[in-house]
Amino acid sequence: MTEQDGVLSDITVLDLSEGVSGPLCAKLLAGMGAEVIKVERPHVGDESRNAGPFPNDDPHPEASAAYLFLNMGKKGITLDIEADTGSSILRRLARDVDILIESHAPGVMESRALGYSDLEPINPGLVYTSITPFGQTGPYRDYKGGDLIIQAVGALMHPIGLPNKEPIKVGGSAALHSVGMSAFSGTMMALYVRDVEGYGQHVDVSAMQTVTVTQIHASIHHQFGRIPTRRESTLVEAADGWVNPGLEIGVQEDTWKKVCDLIGLPELADDQAFNTREARRTNQQDLLAIIGNWVASQPKEQIYHTLQGLRTIAGYVATVKDLRNSEQLQYREFFKTIDHPVAGKAVYPGVPFSIDNNPMTQSRAPLLGEHNLEIYRDRLGYSGEELGRLRSTGIV
Amino acid sequence: MNDLRMNNLALKDLRILDLTQVAVGPYTTFLLGFMGAEVIKVESTSRMDISRGQARPTPQGYRVYPDNDPGERPWNRAGHHIHRNPNKLSLTLDLSTERGKELLKKLATLCDVLIENFRASVMDRLGLGYEVLSQINPQLIYLKISSQGATGPEKDYGSLGSTLEQTAGLASVTGYEDRKPLMTNETYPDPVGGIFNVGVLLGTLRRRHKTGQGAFIDFSQREMTASMLGQEFLDFSFNARVAGPMGNRHPIFEPQGVYPCQGDDMWVAISVRSEEEWVGLCDAIGMPQLARNPRFETALARRRNRDEVERFLTNWTREQDHYDVMHTLQKNGVPAGAVLKGGEIINDPHLEERGFWDEVHHPEAGFYKQVTTPWEFSKSGRIQTTPAPNLGEHNEYVLSDLLGMTSQELYDLEEKGVIGTFPIGAE
Repeated sequence: MTEQDGVLSDITVLDLSEGVSGPLCAKLLAGMGAEVIKVERPHVGDESRNAGPFPNDDPHPEASAAYLFLNMGKKGITLDIEADTGSSILRRLARDVDILIESHAPGVMESRALGYSDLEPINPGLVYTSITPFGQTGPYRDYKGGDLIIQAVGALMHPIGLPNKEPIKVGGSAALHSVGMSAFSGTMMALYVRDVEGYGQHVDVSAMQTVTVTQIHASIHHQFGRIPTRRESTLVEAADGWVNPGLEIGVQEDTWKKVCDLIGLPELADDQAFNTREARRTNQQDLLAIIGNWVASQPKEQIYHTLQGLRTIAGYVATVKDLRNSEQLQYREFFKTIDHPVAGKAVYPGVPFSIDNNPMTQSRAPLLGEHNLEIYRDRLGYSGEELGRLRSTGIV
Repeated sequence: MNDLRMNNLALKDLRILDLTQVAVGPYTTFLLGFMGAEVIKVESTSRMDISRGQARPTPQGYRVYPDNDPGERPWNRAGHHIHRNPNKLSLTLDLSTERGKELLKKLATLCDVLIENFRASVMDRLGLGYEVLSQINPQLIYLKISSQGATGPEKDYGSLGSTLEQTAGLASVTGYEDRKPLMTNETYPDPVGGIFNVGVLLGTLRRRHKTGQGAFIDFSQREMTASMLGQEFLDFSFNARVAGPMGNRHPIFEPQGVYPCQGDDMWVAISVRSEEEWVGLCDAIGMPQLARNPRFETALARRRNRDEVERFLTNWTREQDHYDVMHTLQKNGVPAGAVLKGGEIINDPHLEERGFWDEVHHPEAGFYKQVTTPWEFSKSGRIQTTPAPNLGEHNEYVLSDLLGMTSQELYDLEEKGVIGTFPIGAE
């Protein structure tokens, strides 16, 4: 039993999903103590095994960073659910699990008699979470889309970027991650209902809908007559990178005077162009030009600490390297070194929450089919001979 | 709120004491409200949620008001407040007074969950931290959302979502191909953190359902945002490579980008992930011969000849409506999406058919369409949006009905400024 005993340590999850969102959802469940069995296509595996980046840029299906990160803490089996034998094995597995996560296009699971309505009769308590770009219903249900597309249709990206240039998406695969997080929340909601009421249900997670929830300004601003537009960057270049001085919203009234003293321009303290939060926002670009000289002479992280000391909401643009060196994150032991038989030792970001001051569990991602024996022989009771037959026919 | 409850709301028996403000916490609690929880939002007449704006804003300081008119009670009309605080009751309670603290402790005995997103030390300083409240209500689940987490040298640093984009690394990978970082100006880590927290909270609620145990959750928004860069951190660990912005490009897919369409500032996003999708694209734009040209055969080849591919694409998208481009490409199996504006997303036919938007009549702000939930459940319903509460609107319900106070006691509290419905500075 883990430190998180009682949160999800009694829960088993079948993870049939691929890519980013579904695997992240299942990974978060594993982090809370659930046993997660990841079901992959024989020989091929999850598409993220090809995504990289790879150690020394040398592609290897067991060493893709995307796969290694998104599948931490899971057991791995292979199963060809397109074959009838495979789909009936999956139904056997689904009988005794609590949660199933899948990310096929709408209709695909149903076509293999693995849809929610197929599994509900054999496991009425099952929480069945489907994650798709547009959801299970509606005119776009069959449409495809990854991180860029969902940021576009969710009205998140139109106001992001510079004036007179094209809209820009939030970097990395941020939106796909947010969808994994929303799938996690929806799954936990249904699991809670199951515990209280006794019944399972189908959770329909739409990436477009998730992103639309995360657009915080566009829809309400539009309706109240203040159309958000792309505007000039408010980041200022420091000696070694970029900072945001954070002198507007959320700043104490007396902070400005202290900032003026700090940057050696005390006469600005009473300048009406800057001496209120609102004025500083209105004259933002002038303000940034004025403090630019001071900023340019110093390292970004030092500026961050100095300005935060004056109760601003200053930030510095931290790179992944800066974050690895962050005292705050080191204090919190956010990063973990984890070994992997193929990829070797690497430093992984951890889980962003703790319960009762116990951190979540973290262990490496599985090799393709690593737990076949454990699941098929020990859990389902297949003999060595039967398992051999499944192997030779390519089912496993 | 009771009459709005349907029979099968997931969180119908749950009561939440909501001390959150600005965005991340309010997102968590409006989602919990949609699922049927009773959410009591606590503010005070001296410290309103800053989403309500100023009591008497100067035109320079206007937040977003309907028709840009702050009206008589701007704090009840501010767009940010209205959009982030539906499905809640409003209680005012001055927590800097002894009486206010006492009442909050009493309320904590009647609530299942307390959520706050102050700077990390504030609740302890007020004498209302988990140590104290869990003595009074051992079953209480205390969700502490903070910028940096409850511990560490930067725990009391202040942030908005925009700050966290920088300090958590997201800004370092956001931007054009000139590799200058950019902020989203969308305080992105706030709504995302709000959604994530719902799941963490429910984990502890299910444990409590089984064991009766309360819980203390320490949630760091900076860490959540940084965790979105998992593969970038691994790339650094494997290859010492420091990720930077790459515009709308993708390391593998080609072409991928945003292309101009007919109309003012209209765009469409297109992403070709496989050879099959490339063939679909060539057909859709009426240039099937491109698919047979070896110069564009693979993603790598297309990258080498990117300018040409982009020219073909742009020439085709430029003359069309962005929705039309999306539908044409999707019907050819190519991932594409109109870059929707705020005014378009509220009328999108797909979201409309899925019943995503609620049309709300807010008594002080009029009609508007409200964002609802990222998920649909086959058996658990959600409530129709109840409009964001006016300041102190439910003082009487909470203090009289729940805590059993008399109207004389309420009057005295109001006299002493512990409760009220008018913010200080409004007169």
